[in-house]
Amino acid sequence: MSAAAGSASPAGSTGSITPVVVRLKLSLLRGGLRQSGGRRAAFIASAVVALLFAASQLLGFIVLRGHAHIASVAVLGVAVLALGWAVMPLFFPSGDETLDPTRLVMLPLRPQPLVRALLAASLVGIGPLFTVLLLAGCVISVARGAAAYVVAVVALLLALLVCVALARAVAAANVRLLTSRKGRDLAVLSGLVVAIGAQLVNFGMQRLGSSGLGRLDPVADVVRWVPPASAVAAVDSVSDGSYGVAVVQLALTAAALAALLGVWARSLTRLMTSPDASTLQPADTATRERSRAGGLTRLLPAGRTGTVMERSLRYVWRDPKTKAAWVTSLAIGLIVPVFNALQGTGSLYFACFAAGMLGIQMYNQFGQDTSAFWMVALTVSSPRDAYLELRGRALALLVVTLPYATLVTVVTTALLGDWPRLPEVLGLSFALLGAMLATGAWTSARFPYSIPQEGYKNVAPGQAGLAWIAIFGGMVSAALLSSPVIALAIWANVSATGDTWSWLLLPAGALYGAAITYLGLRLAAPRTAARLPEILTSVSKG
Amino acid sequence: MVSTSAVRVQGLWKRFGQQIAVAGIDLELPAGKFIGLVGPNGAGKTTTLSMVTGLLRPDQGTVEVVGHDVWRDPVAVKARIGVLPEGLRLFERLSGRELLSYSGRLRGLPGAEVDRRAMQLLDVLDLAGAQHKLVVDYSTGMRKKIGLAAALLHNPEVLFLDEPFEGVDPVSAQTIRGVLERYTASGATVVFSSHVMELVESLCDWVAVMAAGRIRAQGPLAEVRGEAPSLQQAFLELVGAQGRGAGADLDWLGGGAR
Repeated sequence: MSAAAGSASPAGSTGSITPVVVRLKLSLLRGGLRQSGGRRAAFIASAVVALLFAASQLLGFIVLRGHAHIASVAVLGVAVLALGWAVMPLFFPSGDETLDPTRLVMLPLRPQPLVRALLAASLVGIGPLFTVLLLAGCVISVARGAAAYVVAVVALLLALLVCVALARAVAAANVRLLTSRKGRDLAVLSGLVVAIGAQLVNFGMQRLGSSGLGRLDPVADVVRWVPPASAVAAVDSVSDGSYGVAVVQLALTAAALAALLGVWARSLTRLMTSPDASTLQPADTATRERSRAGGLTRLLPAGRTGTVMERSLRYVWRDPKTKAAWVTSLAIGLIVPVFNALQGTGSLYFACFAAGMLGIQMYNQFGQDTSAFWMVALTVSSPRDAYLELRGRALALLVVTLPYATLVTVVTTALLGDWPRLPEVLGLSFALLGAMLATGAWTSARFPYSIPQEGYKNVAPGQAGLAWIAIFGGMVSAALLSSPVIALAIWANVSATGDTWSWLLLPAGALYGAAITYLGLRLAAPRTAARLPEILTSVSKG
Repeated sequence: MVSTSAVRVQGLWKRFGQQIAVAGIDLELPAGKFIGLVGPNGAGKTTTLSMVTGLLRPDQGTVEVVGHDVWRDPVAVKARIGVLPEGLRLFERLSGRELLSYSGRLRGLPGAEVDRRAMQLLDVLDLAGAQHKLVVDYSTGMRKKIGLAAALLHNPEVLFLDEPFEGVDPVSAQTIRGVLERYTASGATVVFSSHVMELVESLCDWVAVMAAGRIRAQGPLAEVRGEAPSLQQAFLELVGAQGRGAGADLDWLGGGAR
């Protein structure tokens, strides 16, 4: 008996673990899909969309073969693809459980076989398949001649491995960062910086799109030396007969792959041998964070209203998830109207974006509390308490939103020089904000869902449907609710005498917004008070 | 007389899908006692306490706290109870002091009184040095202590604590113990859950034993312990786990052979 047990363990460790990890990945995929029909549907839908997109891209590249600037497009396309792979683990760190090496920390594995196994495992999935199709399109578009096709196969493999290794290296480096609380807080915001940066890039691309692909060539000339785009550039070089350049470009890509694998292996080793920083006592016990409460408390009203407002406002600043949501809203609320105005394509009505984006923060109020909502639930014993609670939260929102929406509207007006329309748009903004607060309060009570505190997801697994109902249903209702004011605005624009009366939309919109907020809070309060245990259960899944 | 029982539970049921978490329990907990709700993990202690404190809606049954129905008269009940739940977060992005200030003001206490009580509680619970640190950076013991402070701030008649000593270091545990003993000495009621029998035996004068969603025994400690040498022994007999130990199946474990 003991002899058999003795021989089993060395056999296990000498065999390669690569197939085991690949099977694990497949089992995890299958297990995840088996969890719910919704998840299966989402997986199939995203797979179909991704593959259709990749296939059309592939076809497009093949059709465009021989186009003057196709090499630039292919090279830049691969660069963008690699960038996507680098950023992806930051947004979906929990998307792939085989990625988290801390789960394997108790197993006796050496870094080298582990890196091989994890690399192989990460080639399984829709992402890599999508990448292969895209890369195939890129290399085919630039390959001319037999030699080029041979190099194309090598280039495709190298580029794919660089992409995957890049993602793994970034993920491993970030798992380490994410183990400390401050690091986690920072990481949430760094993802945000990337998202807003992408917005800016998007606007840049739009401007570029209008002036022709030729503008890409200088950028591509640099990027063709940057792996993994250099692999595709090597195919192009071979097609042109410059074999020396191709060798250098391929070597660059291979070197990048080796470097990435090295970095990855090092951070894996560090991760698996050093203690988890989150369990260590912070050394700076003596640091006293100075309380900013003094001034703030004195300015806020007394009683539940002020207490709730103070906590909400503190959370906007201190809670990374809330902060990220707010910064996104503030940034997009500003970027959309102002950039459109700068490009000359804007309309003053885009300024309503600021009010709309910030109004979203009223949605899922209790989900933002996470399971700490029990502290609220234990102090709400009547619809009156619930009303004060919701009103406090709405007021905290208004403290920021009202001045901000006004500012954005004024700035947009100044950029467009359309001052006569200012009161009208301000009125529309206020009405929309009121409608958002009203529907936000109501959906907070009726469709609460959990916001996981870890990672980048904003909805707990299984509650995505609930979140969609809450946000999109709420936004459509908000648009419907503000339709009287919208109708007035349209009338002011089309009727002959409308212009003389359009200023009236400012007080009308403000009054309408205030009234509808009041109504929304009044309707939401009894629902909140009656559903406290259900809300708590619903927001405690994160 | 209603006034003699702090908590009265009748026919309480809770089902999660196929699983029955609490299977029709009746409980009558006397006022002014230190009461322990004991049972193994998964016995339904947390579910029971959540339903008793109004944080979870029962499928069936009634709960009265100091004579008021928890679900029909929440105003009377919520003002009279303090709760320290297990597995639920606090508002962790507040500092310890801000959390107490928030909690007290939310309950409608005057601000100056909240601040006075909060300072004393922070001192007694040995948290004064960490009062300006965010709760998210607190250790488990500190979290339990700040949670206890928040639960005591409004001077409740009945205090419900779910596993208050779980993961708490001995020093913090002793501090918590001291505060709770002082609190019950004044006539208030403490109901706490635990799976550590020695702890319950040393603290409580009244226990209720729970297993698999049912109450197996309830009464004064001596009565429940009966003839058994310790509560642990009495408990193992009650839940029928006697004699199921490490048997002959694990004969390869330990010893020279690998």
